[in-house]
Amino acid sequence: MALVFRFLPWEYAIRNLFRRPLRTCLTFLGLTTVIVLVFVVVGFIRGLERSLAVSGDRQTILIYSLGMGENLEYSSIPMKTNDLVPATVEGIQERFGQEYVSPELYLGTLIRLGASRTSSDQPSDLSPQTMGLVRGVTRSALLVRRQVEIEEGDWPESGEVMIGRMAATKVGATKEQAGIGKSISFEGRTWKISGIFSASGSAFESEAWCRLDDLQQAMKRQDLSIVALTLAPQGEFADVQLFCEERRNLELNVKREAEYYAGLQKDYGPVRWLAWLVVLLVSGAGIFAGLNTMYGSVVGRTLELSTLQTIGFARRAIVVSLIQEGILMAAGASLLAALIALLLINGLAVRFTMGAFTLRIDSMAVLIGCSVGLLLGLFGAIPPAIRALRMPIVDGLKSV
Amino acid sequence: MRSDSNSNILSRISCLLTLVACLSFSLFAGCAQEQPTGPVQITEVPSVDGSQFLLNEEPDGAADVIKAREQSKDGEEVILVGRIGGGENPWIEGRAAFTVVDGSLKACSDIPGDDCPIPWDYCCETDKLPPSTALVKVVDDSGSLIKTDAKKLLDVKELSTVVVKGKAQRDDDGNLTVLATGVFVKKK
Repeated sequence: MALVFRFLPWEYAIRNLFRRPLRTCLTFLGLTTVIVLVFVVVGFIRGLERSLAVSGDRQTILIYSLGMGENLEYSSIPMKTNDLVPATVEGIQERFGQEYVSPELYLGTLIRLGASRTSSDQPSDLSPQTMGLVRGVTRSALLVRRQVEIEEGDWPESGEVMIGRMAATKVGATKEQAGIGKSISFEGRTWKISGIFSASGSAFESEAWCRLDDLQQAMKRQDLSIVALTLAPQGEFADVQLFCEERRNLELNVKREAEYYAGLQKDYGPVRWLAWLVVLLVSGAGIFAGLNTMYGSVVGRTLELSTLQTIGFARRAIVVSLIQEGILMAAGASLLAALIALLLINGLAVRFTMGAFTLRIDSMAVLIGCSVGLLLGLFGAIPPAIRALRMPIVDGLKSV
Repeated sequence: MRSDSNSNILSRISCLLTLVACLSFSLFAGCAQEQPTGPVQITEVPSVDGSQFLLNEEPDGAADVIKAREQSKDGEEVILVGRIGGGENPWIEGRAAFTVVDGSLKACSDIPGDDCPIPWDYCCETDKLPPSTALVKVVDDSGSLIKTDAKKLLDVKELSTVVVKGKAQRDDDGNLTVLATGVFVKKK
Protein backbone atom coordinates (compact mmCIF):
# COMPACT_ATOMS: atom_id res chain seq x y z
CA MET A 1 0.00 0.00 0.00
CA ALA A 2 1.40 3.34 -1.01
CA LEU A 3 1.79 5.76 1.87
CA VAL A 4 -0.12 9.00 1.46
CA PHE A 5 1.64 12.09 2.76
CA ARG A 6 -0.86 13.93 4.99
CA PHE A 7 -0.64 17.57 5.95
CA LEU A 8 -1.95 18.76 9.27
CA PRO A 9 -5.33 20.45 8.77
CA TRP A 10 -5.11 24.10 7.64
CA GLU A 11 -7.17 25.18 10.65
CA TYR A 12 -4.75 23.47 13.04
CA ALA A 13 -2.12 26.17 12.63
CA ILE A 14 -4.74 28.91 12.92
CA ARG A 15 -6.11 27.43 16.14
CA ASN A 16 -2.60 27.18 17.53
CA LEU A 17 -2.12 30.91 17.09
CA PHE A 18 -5.12 31.54 19.33
CA ARG A 19 -4.05 29.02 22.00
CA ARG A 20 -1.50 31.52 23.35
CA PRO A 21 -3.23 34.83 22.63
CA LEU A 22 -0.89 37.07 24.64
CA ARG A 23 2.27 35.71 23.03
CA THR A 24 0.68 35.83 19.59
CA CYS A 25 -0.53 39.42 20.13
CA LEU A 26 2.87 40.61 21.32
CA THR A 27 4.64 38.96 18.38
CA PHE A 28 2.02 40.31 16.01
CA LEU A 29 2.56 43.85 17.35
CA GLY A 30 6.34 43.40 17.20
CA LEU A 31 6.20 42.24 13.59
CA THR A 32 3.77 45.05 12.69
CA THR A 33 6.11 47.64 14.21
CA VAL A 34 9.07 46.21 12.32
CA ILE A 35 7.18 46.18 9.01
CA VAL A 36 5.88 49.74 9.59
CA LEU A 37 9.50 50.82 10.09
CA VAL A 38 10.43 49.06 6.86
CA PHE A 39 7.58 50.94 5.15
CA VAL A 40 8.88 54.28 6.52
CA VAL A 41 12.37 53.66 5.16
CA VAL A 42 11.14 52.31 1.81
CA GLY A 43 8.69 55.25 1.59
CA PHE A 44 11.61 57.61 2.19
CA ILE A 45 13.68 56.02 -0.59
CA ARG A 46 10.75 55.94 -3.02
CA GLY A 47 9.83 59.55 -2.20
CA LEU A 48 13.39 60.79 -2.73
CA GLU A 49 13.77 58.85 -5.98
CA ARG A 50 10.39 60.01 -7.24
CA SER A 51 11.13 63.65 -6.40
CA LEU A 52 14.36 63.61 -8.40
CA ALA A 53 13.05 61.40 -11.20
CA VAL A 54 10.05 63.60 -12.04
CA SER A 55 12.09 66.80 -11.77
CA GLY A 56 13.98 66.13 -14.97
CA ASP A 57 12.38 66.32 -18.40
CA ARG A 58 14.51 64.81 -21.18
CA GLN A 59 13.36 67.47 -23.66
CA THR A 60 14.31 70.27 -21.27
CA ILE A 61 17.85 71.61 -21.54
CA LEU A 62 19.63 73.72 -18.93
CA ILE A 63 22.21 76.32 -19.90
CA TYR A 64 24.33 77.46 -16.97
CA SER A 65 27.80 78.74 -16.29
CA LEU A 66 30.91 76.69 -16.93
CA GLY A 67 32.46 74.85 -14.00
CA MET A 68 29.40 74.97 -11.76
CA GLY A 69 28.94 71.20 -11.71
CA GLU A 70 25.62 70.59 -10.01
CA ASN A 71 25.50 73.85 -8.01
CA LEU A 72 23.09 75.78 -10.18
CA GLU A 73 22.43 78.28 -7.39
CA TYR A 74 25.99 79.60 -7.84
CA SER A 75 25.71 79.84 -11.62
CA SER A 76 25.89 83.25 -13.25
CA ILE A 77 25.41 83.78 -16.99
CA PRO A 78 24.89 87.00 -18.96
CA MET A 79 21.31 88.22 -19.36
CA LYS A 80 21.78 88.39 -23.13
CA THR A 81 21.97 84.58 -23.24
CA ASN A 82 18.18 84.63 -23.00
CA ASP A 83 17.95 86.53 -26.31
CA LEU A 84 20.81 84.76 -28.05
CA VAL A 85 19.48 81.25 -27.47
CA PRO A 86 16.13 81.53 -29.29
CA ALA A 87 17.73 83.68 -31.99
CA THR A 88 20.45 81.14 -32.72
CA VAL A 89 19.39 77.64 -31.73
CA GLU A 90 17.07 75.76 -34.04
CA GLY A 91 14.57 73.17 -32.89
CA ILE A 92 13.23 74.94 -29.80
CA GLN A 93 9.60 74.14 -29.05
CA GLU A 94 7.31 76.99 -30.07
CA ARG A 95 3.62 77.79 -29.74
CA PHE A 96 1.86 80.85 -31.17
CA GLY A 97 5.23 82.49 -31.74
CA GLN A 98 6.28 82.02 -28.11
CA GLU A 99 9.47 79.99 -27.75
CA TYR A 100 9.83 77.67 -24.78
CA VAL A 101 12.80 79.49 -23.26
CA SER A 102 12.81 80.37 -19.57
CA PRO A 103 15.39 82.77 -18.09
CA GLU A 104 15.75 82.08 -14.39
CA LEU A 105 17.60 83.45 -11.38
CA TYR A 106 17.90 80.67 -8.84
CA LEU A 107 19.40 80.86 -5.38
CA GLY A 108 19.40 79.49 -1.89
CA THR A 109 18.76 82.23 0.62
CA LEU A 110 17.45 82.86 4.14
CA ILE A 111 13.66 82.83 4.14
CA ARG A 112 11.10 83.65 6.80
CA LEU A 113 7.44 82.88 6.31
CA GLY A 114 4.71 84.35 8.40
CA ALA A 115 2.32 87.07 9.43
CA SER A 116 -0.04 88.92 7.15
CA ARG A 117 1.41 92.09 5.67
CA THR A 118 -1.45 94.15 7.02
CA SER A 119 -1.22 92.90 10.59
CA SER A 120 1.51 93.79 13.03
CA ASP A 121 4.00 90.95 12.94
CA GLN A 122 3.99 88.93 16.12
CA PRO A 123 7.01 86.68 16.63
CA SER A 124 4.68 83.70 17.12
CA ASP A 125 3.24 84.27 13.66
CA LEU A 126 6.62 83.96 12.02
CA SER A 127 8.51 80.86 11.02
CA PRO A 128 12.19 80.52 11.92
CA GLN A 129 14.54 82.05 9.37
CA THR A 130 16.08 79.17 7.43
CA MET A 131 17.62 78.44 4.07
CA GLY A 132 15.10 78.16 1.29
CA LEU A 133 15.13 78.08 -2.48
CA VAL A 134 13.98 81.06 -4.55
CA ARG A 135 13.55 81.19 -8.33
CA GLY A 136 13.00 84.40 -10.26
CA VAL A 137 11.02 83.52 -13.37
CA THR A 138 9.00 84.94 -16.23
CA ARG A 139 5.69 83.55 -17.47
CA SER A 140 7.56 81.39 -19.98
CA ALA A 141 8.65 79.25 -17.02
CA LEU A 142 5.21 77.64 -17.19
CA LEU A 143 5.89 76.56 -20.78
CA VAL A 144 9.18 74.90 -19.92
CA ARG A 145 8.24 73.54 -16.48
CA ARG A 146 5.23 71.66 -17.74
CA GLN A 147 4.56 69.85 -14.48
CA VAL A 148 3.90 73.11 -12.60
CA GLU A 149 0.24 73.84 -11.87
CA ILE A 150 -1.15 76.73 -9.85
CA GLU A 151 -3.29 75.05 -7.19
CA GLU A 152 -4.53 78.17 -5.38
CA GLY A 153 -4.29 81.90 -5.96
CA ASP A 154 -2.62 83.64 -8.88
CA TRP A 155 0.64 84.08 -10.75
CA PRO A 156 2.80 86.58 -8.82
CA GLU A 157 2.65 90.26 -9.70
CA SER A 158 5.28 92.77 -8.64
CA GLY A 159 6.15 92.29 -4.96
CA GLU A 160 4.45 88.91 -4.85
CA VAL A 161 5.64 85.33 -4.59
CA MET A 162 4.12 81.99 -5.55
CA ILE A 163 5.26 79.12 -3.34
CA GLY A 164 5.40 75.39 -3.94
CA ARG A 165 3.23 73.18 -1.80
CA MET A 166 6.34 71.78 -0.02
CA ALA A 167 8.00 75.17 0.53
CA ALA A 168 6.57 75.55 4.04
CA THR A 169 8.01 72.16 5.04
CA LYS A 170 11.36 73.11 3.55
CA VAL A 171 11.66 76.20 5.77
CA GLY A 172 9.99 74.64 8.80
CA ALA A 173 6.86 76.80 8.64
CA THR A 174 3.27 75.81 9.36
CA LYS A 175 0.58 75.69 6.68
CA GLU A 176 -1.04 78.79 8.21
CA GLN A 177 2.22 80.74 7.95
CA ALA A 178 2.42 79.85 4.27
CA GLY A 179 -1.11 80.75 3.27
CA ILE A 180 -2.16 83.08 0.48
CA GLY A 181 -1.96 86.72 1.58
CA LYS A 182 0.71 85.96 4.18
CA SER A 183 4.19 87.41 3.98
CA ILE A 184 7.50 85.89 3.03
CA SER A 185 10.79 87.67 3.62
CA PHE A 186 14.05 87.15 1.78
CA GLU A 187 16.85 89.27 0.33
CA GLY A 188 15.88 92.17 2.58
CA ARG A 189 12.34 92.46 1.23
CA THR A 190 8.92 91.36 2.35
CA TRP A 191 6.80 89.77 -0.35
CA LYS A 192 3.16 88.76 -0.40
CA ILE A 193 2.21 85.15 -1.17
CA SER A 194 -0.06 85.25 -4.21
CA GLY A 195 -0.45 81.56 -4.96
CA ILE A 196 0.51 77.98 -4.25
CA PHE A 197 1.65 75.59 -6.93
CA SER A 198 2.27 71.89 -7.29
CA ALA A 199 4.74 70.21 -9.64
CA SER A 200 3.92 66.48 -9.69
CA GLY A 201 6.06 65.89 -6.60
CA SER A 202 9.21 67.31 -8.20
CA ALA A 203 11.91 69.39 -6.47
CA PHE A 204 10.25 72.63 -7.68
CA GLU A 205 7.57 72.16 -5.02
CA SER A 206 10.08 73.23 -2.34
CA GLU A 207 10.75 76.56 -4.02
CA ALA A 208 9.33 80.08 -3.93
CA TRP A 209 8.84 81.68 -7.36
CA CYS A 210 8.75 85.41 -7.92
CA ARG A 211 9.10 87.67 -10.93
CA LEU A 212 12.59 87.65 -12.43
CA ASP A 213 12.85 91.46 -12.64
CA ASP A 214 11.73 91.82 -9.02
CA LEU A 215 14.36 89.39 -7.80
CA GLN A 216 17.07 91.01 -9.92
CA GLN A 217 16.19 94.39 -8.37
CA ALA A 218 16.13 92.98 -4.84
CA MET A 219 19.52 91.34 -5.33
CA LYS A 220 20.98 94.16 -7.43
CA ARG A 221 21.90 91.60 -10.06
CA GLN A 222 21.50 91.79 -13.81
CA ASP A 223 22.59 88.28 -14.66
CA LEU A 224 20.79 84.95 -14.77
CA SER A 225 21.50 81.62 -13.12
CA ILE A 226 20.21 79.46 -15.92
CA VAL A 227 18.30 79.49 -19.16
CA ALA A 228 15.99 76.49 -19.42
CA LEU A 229 14.53 75.56 -22.78
CA THR A 230 12.37 72.82 -24.22
CA LEU A 231 13.36 71.19 -27.47
CA ALA A 232 10.76 70.35 -30.08
CA PRO A 233 10.50 66.63 -30.94
CA GLN A 234 12.75 67.21 -33.97
CA GLY A 235 15.13 69.45 -32.00
CA GLU A 236 18.60 68.17 -31.21
CA PHE A 237 20.68 68.58 -28.07
CA ALA A 238 23.80 68.95 -30.22
CA ASP A 239 22.52 72.29 -31.57
CA VAL A 240 22.39 73.74 -28.04
CA GLN A 241 25.83 72.30 -27.31
CA LEU A 242 27.21 73.93 -30.46
CA PHE A 243 25.67 77.26 -29.44
CA CYS A 244 27.49 77.14 -26.10
CA GLU A 245 30.83 75.99 -27.51
CA GLU A 246 30.82 78.55 -30.30
CA ARG A 247 30.46 81.32 -27.72
CA ARG A 248 33.24 80.42 -25.31
CA ASN A 249 33.36 84.04 -24.13
CA LEU A 250 29.97 83.54 -22.44
CA GLU A 251 31.40 80.58 -20.49
CA LEU A 252 28.29 78.46 -20.83
CA ASN A 253 27.71 74.84 -20.05
CA VAL A 254 24.75 72.74 -21.12
CA LYS A 255 23.06 69.66 -19.75
CA ARG A 256 19.78 67.82 -20.16
CA GLU A 257 17.62 68.48 -17.12
CA ALA A 258 17.06 64.73 -16.71
CA GLU A 259 20.85 64.21 -16.58
CA TYR A 260 21.21 66.98 -14.01
CA TYR A 261 18.73 65.32 -11.66
CA ALA A 262 20.18 61.88 -12.42
CA GLY A 263 23.50 63.33 -11.22
CA LEU A 264 21.84 64.51 -8.01
CA GLN A 265 20.32 61.06 -7.58
CA LYS A 266 23.81 59.58 -7.90
CA ASP A 267 25.02 61.98 -5.20
CA TYR A 268 22.29 60.71 -2.90
CA GLY A 269 23.36 57.09 -3.56
CA PRO A 270 25.06 56.70 -0.15
CA VAL A 271 21.87 57.94 1.56
CA ARG A 272 19.87 55.29 -0.29
CA TRP A 273 22.35 52.56 0.66
CA LEU A 274 22.17 53.69 4.27
CA ALA A 275 18.39 53.49 4.10
CA TRP A 276 18.54 49.94 2.70
CA LEU A 277 20.94 49.04 5.51
CA VAL A 278 18.35 50.31 7.99
CA VAL A 279 15.75 48.09 6.27
CA LEU A 280 18.12 45.13 6.69
CA LEU A 281 18.81 45.85 10.37
CA VAL A 282 15.16 46.44 11.21
CA SER A 283 14.22 43.24 9.36
CA GLY A 284 16.87 41.37 11.37
CA ALA A 285 15.20 42.53 14.57
CA GLY A 286 11.87 41.32 13.19
CA ILE A 287 13.29 37.88 12.41
CA PHE A 288 14.49 37.57 16.01
CA ALA A 289 11.00 38.47 17.26
CA GLY A 290 9.51 35.76 15.04
CA LEU A 291 12.18 33.24 16.09
CA ASN A 292 11.49 33.88 19.73
CA THR A 293 7.80 33.18 19.38
CA MET A 294 8.15 30.13 17.20
CA TYR A 295 10.84 28.62 19.45
CA GLY A 296 8.50 29.18 22.40
CA SER A 297 5.75 27.54 20.42
CA VAL A 298 7.87 24.47 19.63
CA VAL A 299 9.36 24.06 23.12
CA GLY A 300 5.95 24.37 24.80
CA ARG A 301 4.42 21.79 22.48
CA THR A 302 7.01 19.00 22.53
CA LEU A 303 4.52 16.42 23.77
CA GLU A 304 1.88 17.51 21.28
CA LEU A 305 4.26 17.43 18.32
CA SER A 306 5.55 13.98 19.32
CA THR A 307 1.99 12.72 19.66
CA LEU A 308 1.18 14.01 16.18
CA GLN A 309 4.10 11.98 14.84
CA THR A 310 2.97 8.91 16.79
CA ILE A 311 -0.52 9.00 15.26
CA GLY A 312 0.98 9.10 11.79
CA PHE A 313 1.71 12.66 10.73
CA ALA A 314 5.06 12.97 8.99
CA ARG A 315 7.68 15.31 10.41
CA ARG A 316 7.61 17.45 7.31
CA ALA A 317 3.84 17.90 7.79
CA ILE A 318 4.55 19.31 11.24
CA VAL A 319 7.31 21.52 9.84
CA VAL A 320 4.95 22.84 7.16
CA SER A 321 2.33 23.57 9.82
CA LEU A 322 4.85 25.52 11.93
CA ILE A 323 6.00 27.54 8.91
CA GLN A 324 2.34 28.14 8.09
CA GLU A 325 1.83 29.61 11.57
CA GLY A 326 4.79 31.96 11.13
CA ILE A 327 3.72 33.09 7.66
CA LEU A 328 0.08 33.55 8.72
CA MET A 329 1.09 35.84 11.56
CA ALA A 330 3.54 37.74 9.36
CA ALA A 331 0.95 38.11 6.59
CA GLY A 332 -1.57 39.58 9.08
CA ALA A 333 1.12 41.92 10.44
CA SER A 334 2.06 42.92 6.88
CA LEU A 335 -1.53 43.79 6.05
CA LEU A 336 -1.96 45.87 9.21
CA ALA A 337 1.40 47.60 8.63
CA ALA A 338 0.47 48.33 5.01
CA LEU A 339 -2.80 49.86 6.17
CA ILE A 340 -1.01 52.02 8.76
CA ALA A 341 1.58 53.03 6.17
CA LEU A 342 -1.03 53.98 3.57
CA LEU A 343 -3.22 55.92 5.99
CA LEU A 344 -0.66 57.57 8.27
CA ILE A 345 2.74 57.59 6.55
CA ASN A 346 1.96 58.06 2.86
CA GLY A 347 2.31 61.74 1.92
CA LEU A 348 4.13 62.84 5.08
CA ALA A 349 6.44 65.74 4.24
CA VAL A 350 10.16 65.37 4.92
CA ARG A 351 12.76 68.14 4.88
CA PHE A 352 15.91 67.36 3.00
CA THR A 353 19.00 69.27 1.88
CA MET A 354 17.75 69.83 -1.66
CA GLY A 355 14.27 70.80 -0.54
CA ALA A 356 11.45 68.69 0.75
CA PHE A 357 9.54 65.68 -0.48
CA THR A 358 6.79 63.38 0.66
CA LEU A 359 7.13 59.81 1.90
CA ARG A 360 5.72 57.66 -0.86
CA ILE A 361 3.97 54.40 -0.13
CA ASP A 362 3.31 53.33 -3.69
CA SER A 363 2.59 49.84 -4.95
CA MET A 364 6.30 49.06 -5.15
CA ALA A 365 6.72 50.09 -1.50
CA VAL A 366 3.72 47.90 -0.56
CA LEU A 367 5.25 45.01 -2.47
CA ILE A 368 8.64 45.44 -0.77
CA GLY A 369 7.12 45.95 2.71
CA CYS A 370 4.79 42.94 2.45
CA SER A 371 7.52 40.74 0.94
CA VAL A 372 9.85 41.64 3.82
CA GLY A 373 6.97 40.83 6.22
CA LEU A 374 6.35 37.40 4.67
CA LEU A 375 10.07 36.63 4.63
CA LEU A 376 10.22 37.52 8.33
CA GLY A 377 7.51 34.93 8.96
CA LEU A 378 9.26 32.33 6.83
CA PHE A 379 12.80 32.79 8.18
CA GLY A 380 11.52 33.21 11.73
CA ALA A 381 9.78 29.82 11.53
CA ILE A 382 12.42 27.72 9.77
CA PRO A 383 14.93 27.21 12.68
CA PRO A 384 12.22 26.17 15.20
CA ALA A 385 10.73 23.93 12.51
CA ILE A 386 14.14 22.25 12.03
CA ARG A 387 14.31 21.75 15.78
CA ALA A 388 10.93 20.04 15.66
CA LEU A 389 12.18 17.83 12.83
CA ARG A 390 15.19 16.65 14.84
CA MET A 391 13.24 15.93 18.02
CA PRO A 392 13.24 12.17 18.92
CA ILE A 393 9.64 10.95 19.33
CA VAL A 394 10.31 8.91 22.47
CA ASP A 395 11.98 11.84 24.27
CA GLY A 396 9.13 14.07 23.20
CA LEU A 397 6.49 11.69 24.54
CA LYS A 398 8.31 11.45 27.89
CA SER A 399 8.36 15.22 28.36
CA VAL A 400 5.64 16.75 30.55
CA MET B 1 -8.97 10.14 5.01
CA ARG B 2 -7.74 10.44 1.44
CA SER B 3 -10.52 12.94 0.57
CA ASP B 4 -9.58 15.03 3.65
CA SER B 5 -5.98 15.04 2.54
CA ASN B 6 -6.97 16.06 -0.98
CA SER B 7 -9.14 18.91 0.27
CA ASN B 8 -6.28 20.08 2.48
CA ILE B 9 -3.91 20.06 -0.46
CA LEU B 10 -6.47 21.90 -2.59
CA SER B 11 -7.05 24.57 0.07
CA ARG B 12 -3.29 25.08 0.43
CA ILE B 13 -2.82 25.34 -3.32
CA SER B 14 -5.65 27.88 -3.59
CA CYS B 15 -4.13 29.96 -0.77
CA LEU B 16 -0.73 29.82 -2.43
CA LEU B 17 -2.19 30.88 -5.76
CA THR B 18 -4.02 33.79 -4.11
CA LEU B 19 -0.78 34.93 -2.50
CA VAL B 20 1.13 34.67 -5.79
CA ALA B 21 -1.68 36.56 -7.56
CA CYS B 22 -1.58 39.36 -4.95
CA LEU B 23 2.20 39.68 -5.22
CA SER B 24 2.08 39.64 -9.03
CA PHE B 25 -0.62 42.32 -8.98
CA SER B 26 1.50 44.52 -6.72
CA LEU B 27 4.52 43.96 -8.92
CA PHE B 28 2.69 44.80 -12.14
CA ALA B 29 0.96 47.78 -10.52
CA GLY B 30 4.40 48.98 -9.44
CA CYS B 31 5.81 48.56 -12.91
CA ALA B 32 2.87 50.39 -14.47
CA GLN B 33 3.51 53.43 -12.31
CA GLU B 34 6.90 54.10 -13.80
CA GLN B 35 6.40 56.78 -16.38
CA PRO B 36 8.83 57.69 -19.09
CA THR B 37 10.58 60.96 -18.40
CA GLY B 38 10.19 62.08 -21.97
CA PRO B 39 10.63 61.02 -25.54
CA VAL B 40 14.01 59.52 -26.24
CA GLN B 41 15.80 60.92 -29.24
CA ILE B 42 17.01 58.26 -31.58
CA THR B 43 19.12 59.75 -34.30
CA GLU B 44 19.98 57.72 -37.33
CA VAL B 45 23.73 57.92 -37.72
CA PRO B 46 24.91 57.28 -41.25
CA SER B 47 28.31 55.63 -41.34
CA VAL B 48 30.94 58.04 -42.60
CA ASP B 49 34.46 57.04 -43.52
CA GLY B 50 36.69 59.02 -41.16
CA SER B 51 39.85 58.29 -43.14
CA GLN B 52 38.94 61.00 -45.67
CA PHE B 53 39.43 63.59 -42.92
CA LEU B 54 42.53 62.09 -41.33
CA LEU B 55 45.87 63.47 -42.53
CA ASN B 56 48.80 61.09 -42.87
CA GLU B 57 51.39 63.77 -42.26
CA GLU B 58 51.44 66.60 -39.79
CA PRO B 59 50.89 69.91 -41.59
CA ASP B 60 53.65 72.47 -41.17
CA GLY B 61 53.21 75.86 -39.59
CA ALA B 62 50.56 74.93 -37.02
CA ALA B 63 49.68 77.74 -34.61
CA ASP B 64 48.70 77.29 -31.00
CA VAL B 65 45.13 78.16 -30.06
CA ILE B 66 45.97 81.43 -28.31
CA LYS B 67 48.04 82.62 -31.28
CA ALA B 68 45.37 81.55 -33.77
CA ARG B 69 42.72 83.43 -31.81
CA GLU B 70 44.86 86.55 -31.92
CA GLN B 71 45.92 86.40 -35.55
CA SER B 72 43.40 84.55 -37.68
CA LYS B 73 40.71 86.39 -39.58
CA ASP B 74 37.24 85.24 -40.53
CA GLY B 75 37.32 83.00 -43.63
CA GLU B 76 41.10 82.60 -43.54
CA GLU B 77 42.82 79.21 -43.86
CA VAL B 78 44.32 78.15 -40.53
CA ILE B 79 46.38 75.28 -39.18
CA LEU B 80 45.77 74.86 -35.47
CA VAL B 81 47.28 72.60 -32.85
CA GLY B 82 45.69 71.87 -29.49
CA ARG B 83 44.57 69.21 -27.03
CA ILE B 84 41.01 67.98 -26.92
CA GLY B 85 39.40 69.25 -23.74
CA GLY B 86 38.27 72.44 -22.07
CA GLY B 87 35.21 71.12 -20.27
CA GLU B 88 33.74 68.10 -18.59
CA ASN B 89 32.39 67.05 -21.99
CA PRO B 90 34.46 68.50 -24.85
CA TRP B 91 32.44 66.57 -27.46
CA ILE B 92 29.32 67.59 -29.32
CA GLU B 93 26.82 64.74 -29.13
CA GLY B 94 26.45 62.94 -32.48
CA ARG B 95 28.56 65.51 -34.33
CA ALA B 96 32.16 65.56 -35.49
CA ALA B 97 32.96 68.56 -33.33
CA PHE B 98 35.01 69.14 -30.20
CA THR B 99 36.86 71.82 -28.32
CA VAL B 100 40.64 72.13 -28.22
CA VAL B 101 42.78 73.91 -25.66
CA ASP B 102 46.12 75.66 -26.11
CA GLY B 103 49.13 73.47 -25.35
CA SER B 104 50.49 75.97 -22.81
CA LEU B 105 47.67 75.18 -20.39
CA LYS B 106 48.19 72.29 -18.01
CA ALA B 107 45.60 69.57 -17.73
CA CYS B 108 45.23 68.14 -14.23
CA SER B 109 47.01 64.96 -15.36
CA ASP B 110 50.08 67.06 -16.22
CA ILE B 111 50.41 68.07 -12.58
CA PRO B 112 52.29 65.41 -10.56
CA GLY B 113 50.18 64.04 -7.75
CA ASP B 114 46.89 65.39 -9.09
CA ASP B 115 44.43 62.51 -9.44
CA CYS B 116 41.52 64.52 -10.86
CA PRO B 117 39.08 62.04 -12.48
CA ILE B 118 38.35 64.45 -15.37
CA PRO B 119 41.74 65.99 -16.19
CA TRP B 120 40.56 67.25 -19.59
CA ASP B 121 38.29 69.86 -18.00
CA TYR B 122 41.40 71.89 -17.08
CA CYS B 123 39.77 72.75 -13.74
CA CYS B 124 43.12 74.05 -12.45
CA GLU B 125 43.23 76.66 -15.24
CA THR B 126 39.54 77.61 -15.50
CA ASP B 127 40.18 81.36 -15.64
CA LYS B 128 42.56 80.96 -18.60
CA LEU B 129 40.23 78.71 -20.62
CA PRO B 130 38.01 81.16 -22.57
CA PRO B 131 40.86 82.87 -24.48
CA SER B 132 42.70 79.55 -24.91
CA THR B 133 39.94 77.43 -26.41
CA ALA B 134 38.63 76.94 -29.92
CA LEU B 135 35.87 74.82 -31.39
CA VAL B 136 36.72 72.39 -34.18
CA LYS B 137 33.97 71.29 -36.56
CA VAL B 138 34.82 68.62 -39.11
CA VAL B 139 32.98 69.52 -42.30
CA ASP B 140 32.44 67.91 -45.69
CA ASP B 141 33.10 69.45 -49.10
CA SER B 142 29.89 71.49 -48.92
CA GLY B 143 30.88 72.91 -45.53
CA SER B 144 28.27 70.92 -43.60
CA LEU B 145 29.14 69.54 -40.18
CA ILE B 146 29.55 65.74 -40.23
CA LYS B 147 26.78 64.10 -38.19
CA THR B 148 28.93 61.42 -36.65
CA ASP B 149 30.54 61.35 -33.24
CA ALA B 150 34.10 62.69 -33.50
CA LYS B 151 35.48 59.96 -31.26
CA LYS B 152 34.26 57.29 -33.68
CA LEU B 153 35.04 59.22 -36.84
CA LEU B 154 38.62 60.17 -35.99
CA ASP B 155 39.49 57.61 -33.29
CA VAL B 156 40.48 60.34 -30.85
CA LYS B 157 39.90 60.74 -27.14
CA GLU B 158 40.12 63.40 -24.47
CA LEU B 159 43.55 65.09 -24.24
CA SER B 160 44.59 63.76 -27.69
CA THR B 161 46.75 66.34 -29.42
CA VAL B 162 45.39 67.19 -32.86
CA VAL B 163 46.54 69.41 -35.70
CA VAL B 164 43.56 70.65 -37.70
CA LYS B 165 43.53 72.30 -41.06
CA GLY B 166 40.56 74.35 -42.16
CA LYS B 167 38.83 77.68 -42.40
CA ALA B 168 38.59 80.09 -39.46
CA GLN B 169 35.19 81.36 -38.42
CA ARG B 170 35.36 84.38 -36.14
CA ASP B 171 32.73 86.43 -34.32
CA ASP B 172 32.74 89.90 -32.78
CA ASP B 173 33.52 88.50 -29.34
CA GLY B 174 36.78 86.93 -30.53
CA ASN B 175 35.58 83.34 -30.50
CA LEU B 176 37.29 80.99 -32.94
CA THR B 177 35.70 78.04 -34.70
CA VAL B 178 37.71 76.03 -37.22
CA LEU B 179 35.76 74.38 -40.02
CA ALA B 180 38.23 71.54 -40.42
CA THR B 181 38.69 69.55 -43.59
CA GLY B 182 41.71 67.63 -42.34
CA VAL B 183 42.82 66.38 -38.93
CA PHE B 184 46.17 64.94 -37.93
CA VAL B 185 46.20 63.03 -34.66
CA LYS B 186 49.55 63.22 -32.91
CA LYS B 187 50.80 60.00 -31.33
CA LYS B 188 52.16 60.38 -27.82
